[in-house]
Amino acid sequence: MKRKVVIGLEIHLQLKTKTKLFCGCSTDYIGATPNTNVCPICLAVPGTLPVINDHAVDLAVKMGLGLHCEIQDGTRFHRKHYFYADLPKAYQITQYEHAIAQGGYLDVIAEGKPKRIRLDHLHLEEDAGKLVHPTADGRLSGAAYSLVDYNRGGMPLSEIVSMPDMNSPAEAIAYVTQIRQLARYLDVSDGEMESGSLRVDVNVSLCNPDGSFGTRVELKNINSLKSIERALEYEIARQNRVLDEGGALVQETRLWDDAAGVTRSMRSKEGARDYRYYVEMDLAPIDAKPDYVERIRASLPEMPWDKRDRFMEQYGLSLEESQQITEQREMADYYEEMVKAGAPAAKAANWARMEVQRILHEEQLDITKFPIPAKELGTLIAKVEKRELSNTQAKDVLAAMFGEKLTLEEAMKKCGASGGRMTGDALAAVIDKVFAAQPEAVETIRKGADKKGAKAKFLQGLVMRETRGSADPAEVAKTIAEKLG
Amino acid sequence: MEFYKMSAREIAEGVKSKRFTAESVARESIERIKTLDKKYNSVVTLCEDEALAAARRIDEAVARGEDPGPLAGVPFAVKDNFCTNGIETTCCSNMLKGWVPQYDATAVKNMKEAGAVLVGKTNMDEFAMGSTTESSIFGPTLNPRDTERVPGGSSGGSAAVVAAGLVPVALGSDTGGSVRQPAAFCGVQGMKPSYGQISRYGIVAYASSLDQVGPIARNVGDLAVMMDVLAKEDPNDSTCDAYERPSFSGALDGASLAGKKVAVLTGYDKNSIDAPLAAAIDRAVEICREAGAEIIEAALPITMEHTVACYYMVALGDASSKLACYDGMRYGHHADGRNLSEMYKKSRMEGFGEEVSKRILVGTCILTRGYYENYFVPATKVRQLISDEFKELFRTADFLICPITPVLAYKRGLSETDPVRMYLGDVFTTIANLAGLPSMSLNLSFTPEGLPANVQILAPRFGDAELLACASVIEKAAGEPAPVETE
Repeated sequence: MKRKVVIGLEIHLQLKTKTKLFCGCSTDYIGATPNTNVCPICLAVPGTLPVINDHAVDLAVKMGLGLHCEIQDGTRFHRKHYFYADLPKAYQITQYEHAIAQGGYLDVIAEGKPKRIRLDHLHLEEDAGKLVHPTADGRLSGAAYSLVDYNRGGMPLSEIVSMPDMNSPAEAIAYVTQIRQLARYLDVSDGEMESGSLRVDVNVSLCNPDGSFGTRVELKNINSLKSIERALEYEIARQNRVLDEGGALVQETRLWDDAAGVTRSMRSKEGARDYRYYVEMDLAPIDAKPDYVERIRASLPEMPWDKRDRFMEQYGLSLEESQQITEQREMADYYEEMVKAGAPAAKAANWARMEVQRILHEEQLDITKFPIPAKELGTLIAKVEKRELSNTQAKDVLAAMFGEKLTLEEAMKKCGASGGRMTGDALAAVIDKVFAAQPEAVETIRKGADKKGAKAKFLQGLVMRETRGSADPAEVAKTIAEKLG
Repeated sequence: MEFYKMSAREIAEGVKSKRFTAESVARESIERIKTLDKKYNSVVTLCEDEALAAARRIDEAVARGEDPGPLAGVPFAVKDNFCTNGIETTCCSNMLKGWVPQYDATAVKNMKEAGAVLVGKTNMDEFAMGSTTESSIFGPTLNPRDTERVPGGSSGGSAAVVAAGLVPVALGSDTGGSVRQPAAFCGVQGMKPSYGQISRYGIVAYASSLDQVGPIARNVGDLAVMMDVLAKEDPNDSTCDAYERPSFSGALDGASLAGKKVAVLTGYDKNSIDAPLAAAIDRAVEICREAGAEIIEAALPITMEHTVACYYMVALGDASSKLACYDGMRYGHHADGRNLSEMYKKSRMEGFGEEVSKRILVGTCILTRGYYENYFVPATKVRQLISDEFKELFRTADFLICPITPVLAYKRGLSETDPVRMYLGDVFTTIANLAGLPSMSLNLSFTPEGLPANVQILAPRFGDAELLACASVIEKAAGEPAPVETE
């Protein structure tokens, strides 16, 4: 029996601030010596008080606006209590009843179909520290002791909670991908799943025959897009199997074991804690008056989906091309600059998606680090379009620009392409040279014995190679025919 | 010289005009603590070396012709829940015994920057929970006015040091009357400023929305100078309001009550108040009338009915949350356990005393699902109603006069034999904390047995300067309390 899948996601996005959410400690903790980015405030030393980082609020509002949320004025923080070694205050400061951004939605395209995913809210909270267990697999079981690193404690997070609007792993993937894209467009977070800047908890259930929601299971410990897909597929199959066999599901939290490719039970609902939420009286309500919100709204860049649609319209790109090019804001900017430099839109799209991507991929580079100015590459593509250069020549030039750090001009000189197309007498001289080297082929053609023009094509190829592609193939064919005709 | 009979302002004046040195003042204070405090047990940590070094720095500054500030060379003591850089801060609890903070509380820093010299940390009820200063791990403080009796609490040590003339001024913290009630029991002047007036940064928290630093002195003029020094915006405390403070000592110049309306609280059983305290209120009202004030009556039915219950809900809920950080992991008392949970339990069991444990448990219960909705949420609503009732009152009145405590300083042991009575003694003080109002405990007289009788004066939120002005008018007529004379 095929049951409808219902998926809701909670995404923790680490905000790109220089300092932590409630103190002046650096957020640059990756690779830092444990417990060096800490201060009396984030260690909850007696007498200390939290002070809100305004920049984190700006970023949360920015993200909220990007997600079409309503920004709330005067929202408060709550304390969420639990005893754990990674939580110095024994409570986490988070937004509970009053999230700064309410509602909202995100339009995604999954498997070629548009889909609107509604959001419940986006709220601000601080991260906890990190426990390090000295076991082979880094897990608690079997560890004789554990170490605590508070460098991550107090890092600013925004938690984005969706409605249970996704009905397939593909939709979930599309949603996460687009959230990440938006976060990067808005420069709100670097959105790296591997480093933990973007963390996803997945809620999944199967609909009952009467259409009501079934028992919900939460999946944690997922740290790549691929894992989300695999975990969901596994869990959906598991739930279907349990129900098919007449069993009942329990509401629980399960951990995704990426190596084994299975989910395992972590805690059931019965073990759920009472967090004793309590208003954080040490922090004043957040000021997000309409004029402040409007100021942030005015600072927003073009949204990725708007850019994607505009590129299709303005440059005549296909959905797939446009999506690829606008995936990263920097790539989209690069593309537009190439077009501005004279490259035809379709050709520039090809070059961006093929040549540039290939180099980035081979060199493990990010577009922000791509050393060739868009203007120069655009000019190069324009030259190809004007038939001043062949495609092969242009690719040689690009390789020289990248490999030897040459300017466009230098690279063209180096590749012998600065003179542009080889035509007329120069081309005739090359053809004569090739004829001299291939008397047999010339003889065959002259005798009219060149079946299917194979020998002529052979000579043509040699000429093209000799000119390093700078001749126009049509002109080459024509000249050879004239000379031997 | 008998510096201990001088006011803080007289000491600062003498130091600045080189009539005497800050070092000689500090030496006298330290000497008196060493000899006299054996009797009272009000100081738990004496900062002799630090104080003498600080005093010498003041003298050097004076010698260089610099102005070391309005409290130049004035010795002061702070309750042991204020963080003091390099000096043990225990909250008089096993939980924090031996803990040395690496920073000064903003209030302490401001006092030092004004030239005041820290000579000691004072005794208190453990974690500021109590009304008698009997729950300290250092033993109880005895009331200098009568050593059979309690000095009040929880800032009992800070009130006692001032009453005994060990220092002219001291700092306490007031969550539900913890500065004003001991000031009343010890016969000194104590104030709880408006919430948000003074930074709470560096005070080990009891309850975030109620705590406020409170100055203690033997006269209103010294309180006003301390307020000038202490009441400042602080980027480290978001609840410390950003607004231009008036000159508190300036408000005392030519202070008058002409044309002011003074409300007198009614609606409680006058017979439930000790007679000398009722008489003190009558006398205070009479002084106001003579000073040109119009006297009106005010009943605060909601406040009088609900304040104690509401206070304990709010305070204990918050306390359970704020004291959760003492888990034995990073500082404070640590006990080993077979696992994390056992370590927490043992550390907390061994670290916290009985009263603190009791309040944490009640507070935890109050915040638990079910109880939260039935007890805590209504309490926050009642708190708003109390606040509103005061707003309404202060539409027509400038000040409110009422008892500060229902009883005179009582003998030791009540907190054990009748804790509920001890809690109910907070009925008149907690209102100021719930409503965020400035409030003063002002000495009016002493009984023939030498027990002090104080009254309470309240003013609208941020009417601290006006409150001090009103108190100074009454003080002028009633006289300042002198330090205890010791042979």
